[in-house]
Amino acid sequence: MLRAAWIVFRNEFRLLARDRAALFMLALAPLVIITVAGLSLGNIYGVQPGSEPYSIVVVDYDHGWLAHALVDALRRDHSVSVVPVANLIEARAIVAGRPRAPLSILIPAGTTGAFEADRNVQLTLYIDPVKRLEAGAIELNLDRLCREVTARAHDLARKRIAKQSSHLRDQLAQASNQMKGAAAQLSQIRRQFEGARAAVRSEMSAQISQAIEQIRIATAAQIDRPLAQTMTALESELAARHDALIAVSRYLSQLQARQRDFQTWLAQLKSAAGSHASQIPPPPQWPAQPSQAVLAELSKPLDFPAPRVDVASSIALPHIAISLPSMPQLLDFGAMPDPGALVWPTASALPGTIGWDEHSITGGDASVNTFDQYVPGFGITFLLVDMLWGVGVGLIDERDWGTLARLRVSGAPASGMMLGKLMSRFLIGLAQMILLFGAGWVLFGISLGHNSWALVFPAAAISFAAAAFSLVIACVANTRDAVLPIGAMAALAMSAIGGCWWPLDFEPYWMRAVALAMPTTWTMGAFNNLMIRGLDPSSAAWSTGVTFAIGAVFLALGILSSSRIYDHAI
Amino acid sequence: MDVARICSSIEAAHLRKSYGVRVAVDDLTFSVNAGEVVGLLGPNGAGKTTTLSMLATLIEPDAGEVRIAGLDSRAAPDDLRRKLGFVPQSIALYPPLSAFQNLEVFAEIHGLTRRLAEARCIETLEAVGLRDRANDPVWTLSGGMKRRLNLACGMVHRPEALLLDERTVGVDPQSRERIFTTIRALADSGVAVLYSTHYMEEVERMCDRALLIDGGKLVAEGTVAQLIELGGRHPRMEITFAKPPLPGWYDGLPGVKEIAPASVETKVALELTNPRQVSELLERAHNAGGQRVEFAVHSPNLSDAFIALTGHALRVVTTET
Repeated sequence: MLRAAWIVFRNEFRLLARDRAALFMLALAPLVIITVAGLSLGNIYGVQPGSEPYSIVVVDYDHGWLAHALVDALRRDHSVSVVPVANLIEARAIVAGRPRAPLSILIPAGTTGAFEADRNVQLTLYIDPVKRLEAGAIELNLDRLCREVTARAHDLARKRIAKQSSHLRDQLAQASNQMKGAAAQLSQIRRQFEGARAAVRSEMSAQISQAIEQIRIATAAQIDRPLAQTMTALESELAARHDALIAVSRYLSQLQARQRDFQTWLAQLKSAAGSHASQIPPPPQWPAQPSQAVLAELSKPLDFPAPRVDVASSIALPHIAISLPSMPQLLDFGAMPDPGALVWPTASALPGTIGWDEHSITGGDASVNTFDQYVPGFGITFLLVDMLWGVGVGLIDERDWGTLARLRVSGAPASGMMLGKLMSRFLIGLAQMILLFGAGWVLFGISLGHNSWALVFPAAAISFAAAAFSLVIACVANTRDAVLPIGAMAALAMSAIGGCWWPLDFEPYWMRAVALAMPTTWTMGAFNNLMIRGLDPSSAAWSTGVTFAIGAVFLALGILSSSRIYDHAI
Repeated sequence: MDVARICSSIEAAHLRKSYGVRVAVDDLTFSVNAGEVVGLLGPNGAGKTTTLSMLATLIEPDAGEVRIAGLDSRAAPDDLRRKLGFVPQSIALYPPLSAFQNLEVFAEIHGLTRRLAEARCIETLEAVGLRDRANDPVWTLSGGMKRRLNLACGMVHRPEALLLDERTVGVDPQSRERIFTTIRALADSGVAVLYSTHYMEEVERMCDRALLIDGGKLVAEGTVAQLIELGGRHPRMEITFAKPPLPGWYDGLPGVKEIAPASVETKVALELTNPRQVSELLERAHNAGGQRVEFAVHSPNLSDAFIALTGHALRVVTTET
């Protein structure tokens, strides 16, 4: 078996060496496609799309410093070429008619003024929808430039405000000092006023009290004299009346004695009248006689003290409180703020700008070389297609040529022939991948990671899986006419879904789920880990193992169905 | 029993192979001795390719035995294959490889060492007249050269038995002659050659014996002369008309009858009892309104014998098995 395997193995290399088309497909075709794809689709990854810059047509209706800053920033970007035009009509003509001119930027009049007035500024982009992808890449750049210009303008404004603030702070400090002086002077004046005011109030009070005392003394003197005269006259009058009252009192006392005597006489009369006493009419009622005390009162000497008018004591002089109006409140400067301690508006007057800085999550270089995706991606695609050609079509051809039958008649076991063919194609595929990586490194500067030797393992895994996959296709398709369309469709679908042509994350969820069953997915994962992420070889071990496992499944299917080829090689 | 013959290099005993209900080969027994070229002659669909495939161990017979150089195909298939050479009907070569490389592959796959293989390749190329084209890719060779190389690949390892599913019709005369010479030389060196064809001319030209098979069965076997004898010795006349004569134009001539239905209306093949009947037939045809283009008179051959034995011509178009 091994001898047959070796002869078939060697024969495969001879066939390949004689087959210029296959050699082209193995080596040059992938490089051509990789070059075209890399240079054409680089802008998907936001990298410079090639040596020829894109044209950006600029219509400047503003002519302010902001417009100039934007245009200058665009001119510094070597991936674009600025084409200034006078109006929108010219811009439209260029964008629609010139290749590599995906968009026009219109800077409206008043843009700079609006920007300076802290209003939103809106540029207008006119894009050619056919060149949407290129426009997207340029928009990304333009967005970055706008942010840079805005940030620079903010920075300048901040510096200007800081300078103005500093000047203002100095002026305020100076004014503060002057105000402090004024406040001190005012305080001194206030104290002087307060002293003067107290003195005035005291003097006025003393003078008023003295005047009042003098008035009181004079008044008392004027009242006492007539009062004494009146008292004298009154005492004289009262003495006369006192004598008369005494005579009346005596008469009244006598009258009271006579009344008592009459009562006694009446009683005796009635007693004498006997039975006729009742017929005696009652005497007239005597008026009620004043009591002895009253009569005594009438005879009592008049004691009528003369009123004493004590002006000094009876007239309470009002307390004269001199209340001067208080002093108007002088300006109270309070605690003078320290200008140095003020929160100046520099930091808050302008909102900051949000920017970002890219770093690779794995610590390597965050920028992507387009070819880091396309060299392994298209390498795998061409590996699948070439393997399809070498194993799938090769087997069918050998069957149809009759050489397979001849080999079988020779006694060569089918297993040996299959082993030789698959082994040779596996090594050819591995060599193809190594060649492409080498060419990619030399021509396009792709990253081979920190352990370039480790790339051999996923390359070997996908080469093995591709060889086994091609065997399955040959056995299933069974004719030359069917192998290529069926195989090519399967190979291209595996490449596309497996993330060989674009990042896997571009695909919808269900497609990514399908991709898990494809060796291309795992191999690309391993290559991405090693090349782009720059991880160590162990990061590719699982993916490589899964690729080998899928290849083993393909091989088992191929062996089971190989009788369709080998048993019909007649 | 023929299989028991010690000198036979190719032996088939009671071979049977069917595909579904269709029997391709039915109880076929024959042998080919060392140094003998035997033609396996039959129309398309007669079972020739199936028979060769069973002899070449490419397919397993349903019944019967195959022995090559005394080795049983079931007991020692690998040893048997090393003794066997096989030349398929199609040109079974690697077109991109050179003539030398093609030979080298098949020499080495049969177990020859590299050095021996190189020597044999040169010898074989010399034998088939392609020494000067040894390093040319196959696709640059003419059809005749490819045929010769195809033969060379089957004999480069010097087999004891050679199975040829080959035909030389259409090959340029130089190549055809070279092929015949080579096959004859092989047989003369002791190789048993079984040559499958439906062209009786090739058998007549090259074979010591022929096996006539039809419908998977052996109809007759023997030398060419013996087979012709089995079919009768009457001459055959073929006439081609531009305008055919009226029907019944040869009625009344004793012993004259049409051989197998003509494939085209304007061509007629008649069996004669006497060569002198030729002039009479030509005159009758003219009188019956026929406009003759050409005519030919043949001695009896294998084709006639086949028709006589099977009732139909060798070149009936049917499905090849």
